[in-house]
Amino acid sequence: MALEVLLVEDSKTQAAQIKETLESVGLRVRVAYDGPDGIREAIENPPSLIVLDVKLPTMDGFQVCRRLKRNPATQDVPIIMLTEKAGPKATMSGLRAGADDYIPKDIFASEHLIGTLQELGILE
Amino acid sequence: MAGPYSSRPPIMSVKVEDSMDIMIVRDTARRAAGLIGFTPAHRAQISSAAATLAELVLKTGEAHTIRLTGVTNGAEIGLQISSETPWLAGVSAQNVLVALRSKMGDLVDEILLLGDADPTIVVVMWLNSVNAAKQDADQADE
Repeated sequence: MALEVLLVEDSKTQAAQIKETLESVGLRVRVAYDGPDGIREAIENPPSLIVLDVKLPTMDGFQVCRRLKRNPATQDVPIIMLTEKAGPKATMSGLRAGADDYIPKDIFASEHLIGTLQELGILE
Repeated sequence: MAGPYSSRPPIMSVKVEDSMDIMIVRDTARRAAGLIGFTPAHRAQISSAAATLAELVLKTGEAHTIRLTGVTNGAEIGLQISSETPWLAGVSAQNVLVALRSKMGDLVDEILLLGDADPTIVVVMWLNSVNAAKQDADQADE
């Protein structure tokens, strides 16, 4: 059975694009459109991987990441932050929050995302 | 090659002429770090440092080359990112290093400014220091 990814992304357009990329490599994708929904979904039904945006309404991706990494139900679920905030401070904030990777949303994003999925053993 | 360490593959370079090249530097750094064996999280750090250096040199308005080179120092293996910065000739090295450290000191292990007449910014991240930090963290968790 295909592994399941929880995508937390508030932009419906970007969510659709990322979902398509993840589904193209055989993953099943659930989408949450804000931080609190993402946390609830992740804890109630822990996925194999979480792909997390940074700029989210209500609660930003750094806060979501920290909460998930502190929760016993989700602390071992890899989190990849996929974001438009690409600077050094944002990168370190993401990694210090516990993200397993921090990928800027640029033209190479899909390729890097799939590369990291392979590296983390999500994809063969 | 600029820098105090012996070089080893990968050896890559990217000419930085416009803002699109910053993205290419970031991508190339990530690939180079992957070839050396850095984890995805550390690849993110290194690629961010490389992009930061590319942004810095782009601000001068002249084309520069960012070099990404595998380096060794005894048993240590790392990735060095460097760029010649002749516009820094005559500027206090200490001031330059303070500015660079505040910008990207958290991302890499070493930031150097080499050469007086023809200065070169060199930043290095060591794979072994990453592994040692991980071992320390694992032991602390146990």
